[in-house]
Amino acid sequence: MPSITFSADDFWSLIGKKLSEDELRRLLDLAKAELDAALTSEMTVKFNDTNQPYLWSPEGLARFFRAALGKRVLPLKLQKSDIVVNVDKSVAAVRPFIACFLAKGPALSEYLVAQLIQLQEKLAENFGRQRKKVGAGLFPASGMPFPLSYKAVSPDAVSFVPLGMKQELSLKEVLEKHQKGKEYANLLKDAKKYPLVLNGKGEVLTFPPIINSDITGKVKPGDKELLCEVTGTDFEGVMLVSTIFAYALSDRGFAIYPAKVKYGSKSFVTPRVDPSLVKFDQSLVKSLLGLDLSSIEVKHLLERAQYVVKGPGKVELPPYRADVMHSVDVVEDVAIMYGYGDFHALPLTSFTPGGVESLQEFVDLLRVLCVGCGYQELMSAVLSNKQVLYDKMNVRDFGTVEIENIMSQTFSCVRTWLLPVLMDVLSKNRHVDYPQRLFEEGLVTQRGKDVVDERHLAVVSCHAAAGFTEMRQLVESILRSAGVSFSLEEFEMGCFIPGRAARVMVNGREVGFFGEVHPVVLEKFGLSMPVAGCELNLTSLRQQ
Amino acid sequence: MDLKKLAQSLHLYERRVLPEIEQHPFVSALSQASGLKEVEVTRALQWLENKKLIRVSVEPRDVVFLDKNGSKYAREGLPERKFLQAVQVKEMPVGRLAEKTGLSSEEVNVCIGLLRQKAAIVLLKDKELKVKLAEHGAHVLKNDFPEERFLRRDFPVDVSALSKEERAIVDQLRRRKQIIRVDAERVKKALLTDLGKKLVDLGVRDENVIDALSPQVLSSGSWKSKQFRRYDVMSGVPQVSGGKKQPYRAFLDVVRQKFVSLGFKEMSGPLVETDFWCMDALFMPQFHSARDIHDAYFVKEPKSGKLDERLVQRVKDAHERGGSTGSRGWGYEFDVDRTHRHLLRTQGTACSARMLASKDLRIPGRYFGISRAFRYDVIDATHLPDFNQVEGIVIEEGMTFRHLIGLLKLFAKEFADAEEVRLVPGYFPFTEPSVELYAKHPQLGWIELGGAGMFRPEVVVPLLGKYVPVCAWGLGIDRLGMFKLGLKDIRNLFSHDLAFLRQSKVM
Repeated sequence: MPSITFSADDFWSLIGKKLSEDELRRLLDLAKAELDAALTSEMTVKFNDTNQPYLWSPEGLARFFRAALGKRVLPLKLQKSDIVVNVDKSVAAVRPFIACFLAKGPALSEYLVAQLIQLQEKLAENFGRQRKKVGAGLFPASGMPFPLSYKAVSPDAVSFVPLGMKQELSLKEVLEKHQKGKEYANLLKDAKKYPLVLNGKGEVLTFPPIINSDITGKVKPGDKELLCEVTGTDFEGVMLVSTIFAYALSDRGFAIYPAKVKYGSKSFVTPRVDPSLVKFDQSLVKSLLGLDLSSIEVKHLLERAQYVVKGPGKVELPPYRADVMHSVDVVEDVAIMYGYGDFHALPLTSFTPGGVESLQEFVDLLRVLCVGCGYQELMSAVLSNKQVLYDKMNVRDFGTVEIENIMSQTFSCVRTWLLPVLMDVLSKNRHVDYPQRLFEEGLVTQRGKDVVDERHLAVVSCHAAAGFTEMRQLVESILRSAGVSFSLEEFEMGCFIPGRAARVMVNGREVGFFGEVHPVVLEKFGLSMPVAGCELNLTSLRQQ
Repeated sequence: MDLKKLAQSLHLYERRVLPEIEQHPFVSALSQASGLKEVEVTRALQWLENKKLIRVSVEPRDVVFLDKNGSKYAREGLPERKFLQAVQVKEMPVGRLAEKTGLSSEEVNVCIGLLRQKAAIVLLKDKELKVKLAEHGAHVLKNDFPEERFLRRDFPVDVSALSKEERAIVDQLRRRKQIIRVDAERVKKALLTDLGKKLVDLGVRDENVIDALSPQVLSSGSWKSKQFRRYDVMSGVPQVSGGKKQPYRAFLDVVRQKFVSLGFKEMSGPLVETDFWCMDALFMPQFHSARDIHDAYFVKEPKSGKLDERLVQRVKDAHERGGSTGSRGWGYEFDVDRTHRHLLRTQGTACSARMLASKDLRIPGRYFGISRAFRYDVIDATHLPDFNQVEGIVIEEGMTFRHLIGLLKLFAKEFADAEEVRLVPGYFPFTEPSVELYAKHPQLGWIELGGAGMFRPEVVVPLLGKYVPVCAWGLGIDRLGMFKLGLKDIRNLFSHDLAFLRQSKVM
């Protein structure tokens, strides 16, 4: 979630009035944004909707506020301009798109420089996917020789002095030696040629999206002419970001001189400032929101959300927004400006019988029976590790779903059975009074031909006299009470003492097992107390 | 307190001990006098003190213990006896005495000294030194040795309880080698209070009191003529830890029951999911930064899962150009391989997506799920890799955002006991409009209770084959659970600390 910091006084002057903190918070809610802390001379605002990047500057946010407060937002008028950017087709394979414009205005203050850099960073990091999809640059532009050209060259073909260094480096060396080069080198790891923006004299302006050249320099207080360059792999994203910048600078009193970007025979004027026409099915106000509103009322609400109504079913979206895909997006803006708090709630009136999942009642019955036998229930993480599941239990892996990108060895696979989880709990509670009688019911996942989730129930009893008989009594007691007819078979498993374990059979199918835990296993868990345990597969038990 | 009631409340041990305290203020003596074991006496004293019938002080005291040689002599008799028996018949050279009596030369020397003092023997000086039985010696031998009598007592013995003669014996024996030992101990001394004296005067040795009601007492009918001892019902008893549900799970049981009572059916889905159900079916674009917050645990094997390819095609169309949903789509090339990729379920909403595409779906219908989900995040003491999510959908023709708001207000009332709610515009990739729900809990104040919205047509149409309004919601109820269970620490929801679980409250 992006967040930006700016001066409160600056913001009040942008919206033309000072707001109370309550009013500020109410309007931020409408922008799906919130104050990070109490309001002071500075405010930090966090945005929850990542699809509206134009809001990530005080200028954009103020535009939203002005419209929401009922003021008109004027469209941006471009100046006459003959700036040209020639795009060579060599960039198509690496970073195909560029947008560009010149801005002339009052001398930049230190504050404004910081704000522009903040917007540039937020757009590139959050919207631009760490510059991969879109990256933007701002340079001082007075005396800039045009036309610009955008092309891709071999990593060793061109050298220039990157910003912050003294000597010339080849593009390849920039990625190896410059701090920004190292940071973003992975963006070009598959590229055979690297992109460059050159000025009219053929000098390197920037090596996007890595670093500007030293001759281009940085934007600094006092600058009056700026060049904005946006490159990326997504055409719409590049266009949108350049428009967002143009509007922000225009709101600060800058005149915007567009560039004609030529892709062979095709060309585009950037920034794009024409509003986009979107379809709006007004009947959704009634059918989706449940509101009975006249067209005029809807029009007013749309205007407060910065739309321009162009006629029935047609609205214009300001050019710095690109988040409308469907009429429902427009309808949400109507609902937001109407005020969620002003909706009259309606009750659901249809009859729908409730119910739990098919296995749940059986599961709950067995849980209650275990509780009745004096067992404490547990609930554990579903993730576990093979050391606990198999090594410590003295058994072989019986089909495990393992995690590829583990965060911690302790949680490196999905549990396949529950008994080891309970053994682990016993090993953590050696200082607690005995007897310890525990059970857990929950999902386990086994990988055979398919990946299958099963619900298992495991029980352990741990005390000086714990043994086979007690566990058999428990299993018999709970299954008898649950109305399950079963039989027992002799059973061998590495975790149990040979001759002291049994398999539980229902209709000729195994549904679980129990027995006296082998001292080898007890030792591995650091237990010096006998344990008897059982594991039942409730999913297959229920199917029988 | 009523003296009679008090008398009736005395335990058998107390009744035995109390009348003896005047005479025998120390535990060992009380044990002898009452016929109880010392630990029983000690417990009785504790109870009596609690009832303010006695005062117990700790005093230093000398206690006699039998030592190594002492217990041998208690069994076999003192060396003096063997010595006298040996010289009884005829005088004997000192040099042969050790061999004749089986005593050590040291013991022989001690005997000579002692017996001469008592005038029981005389020493004759001939060619060699000889011992002869004196006239008094024969008399001594005929009688009991008071020292032997003393050694045959039960030890340890309290010095203060001894007679003057016995004390003289103690003084004498402790000078000899390893016969007795006298140690200073700090011992409890009991003293009757005025109330205690009154009770003793009243007579507490009444045997007509029943302590434990037993089958014998019942079958003999003896209880009919006796009094039941009154228990001190206020005194503490040892703690018992019975079986019980896990507190958080019990809370989720209540939540489940609540949904059922509100007409919701439970749904579920697999832990190992595909990108398709976790994200793509929910119209989250494969490239979008919204997927950053859903970074996932990927699965080693099998890398991908099976899907209904007709559904995949419809979702692909919706993503790319909107398909038949009326949307312009995200405008990118949908990766069909990626949608099959296996991962651990990132959000419970995957179950809702599955429900929409299920043949079991009923319209109108209300569905809920309490599902485990996994978040790819740093695991430490406060973050576990998996957690429970409570979410669901309502599907109904003619349903609007106003019904969703009604539903959210109902949830606020049912789950947070809240009459007041705050509804704030929210953002979820799969709903439009989207709303965040805050509820004013009577004790916790304003809490974030959940998020909700109307599923986008791009979600509903590909999965269901047509558009019907669907409300989708998720509730963050862990905080409420912690509040109801009196927990401060979220880690305790999945606690493996048995001591904690045994103390914990359960719903």
